[in-house]
Amino acid sequence: MHRSHRNIAEIELLYRQQGSALLLFALAITGERSRAQDVVHHVFLNLIEKGSLRRAADKKAYLFASVRNAALNESKLRERTAPLDGDSHAAWFDPPDHDYMGEQNLRRTLGALPDDQREVIVLHIWGELTFSQISELLSISPNTAASRYRYALGKLRESMSTKENSCANS
Amino acid sequence: MPIPDEERFEAHLKQFRPLAPEPLPVAGSVHPARGMLVVWAGAAAVVAILAGIVALRVHTQRVGVAGTTNSPATPDLVADRGPLTMRSADALMVKAPSLKAMVDDMAFRPQTVPLPKDKLSAVGVLGKEKIKL
Repeated sequence: MHRSHRNIAEIELLYRQQGSALLLFALAITGERSRAQDVVHHVFLNLIEKGSLRRAADKKAYLFASVRNAALNESKLRERTAPLDGDSHAAWFDPPDHDYMGEQNLRRTLGALPDDQREVIVLHIWGELTFSQISELLSISPNTAASRYRYALGKLRESMSTKENSCANS
Repeated sequence: MPIPDEERFEAHLKQFRPLAPEPLPVAGSVHPARGMLVVWAGAAAVVAILAGIVALRVHTQRVGVAGTTNSPATPDLVADRGPLTMRSADALMVKAPSLKAMVDDMAFRPQTVPLPKDKLSAVGVLGKEKIKL
């Protein structure tokens, strides 16, 4: 009983530490905040119920993999056809200096990326996973993970600069 | 805002912090210390209820014993708590030291058990019969 309480406390701590990045990752797959929230809750409640986190060597990577599997399963069940930026009113980020326009630009630009590139960007920047961890999670080589990241980052930069310039000119 | 190189752009992106998720539905209800407190409070309540029941039963038994010792009837006669019949009246007559004592015993006997309608009590039968002394 004592061990299970310790396990729950550890899971709650992980939720506080990684919950935001996991929610963003689920958002990057499902595109809807409510669905992403359900996915993250589902993963953590399963962990509390089954206590399967103790068997994981890399707990952080295990959490992201669990969220990815749950989000993909959920998306398959719903047969998502709408574009990812359809839920455009719900924010994904808390922007610096109340830059809500920048937040909207970032969200839309991320949504316009291909799924595999968007996943790598979110996992590396906000999930703070290494390319080695990402490669295991996505079953790709570390080089592929790194090249996807560089390519996606270039597109983000270009797209956000263009949007910010057009906003500044208008 | 111009974004010169990759590292600065990464730092710029990291300034956008992902929104925090809603709290876990079970986070408040599974707190170990609070859970144990509820268990101990429940156990204490059960013990208190059991102690109350035992104390009440002991008190009731003491009152019952006190009530029997205050009765005017003799102990061996009071022990027989069945309805007063001819047989028990005969037994009383054998045991009693005198007729007066027997009648006194019957008169002060508590009539707790009602007789059926078709039967008479021993006092009723004795009242109808002529007894030669």
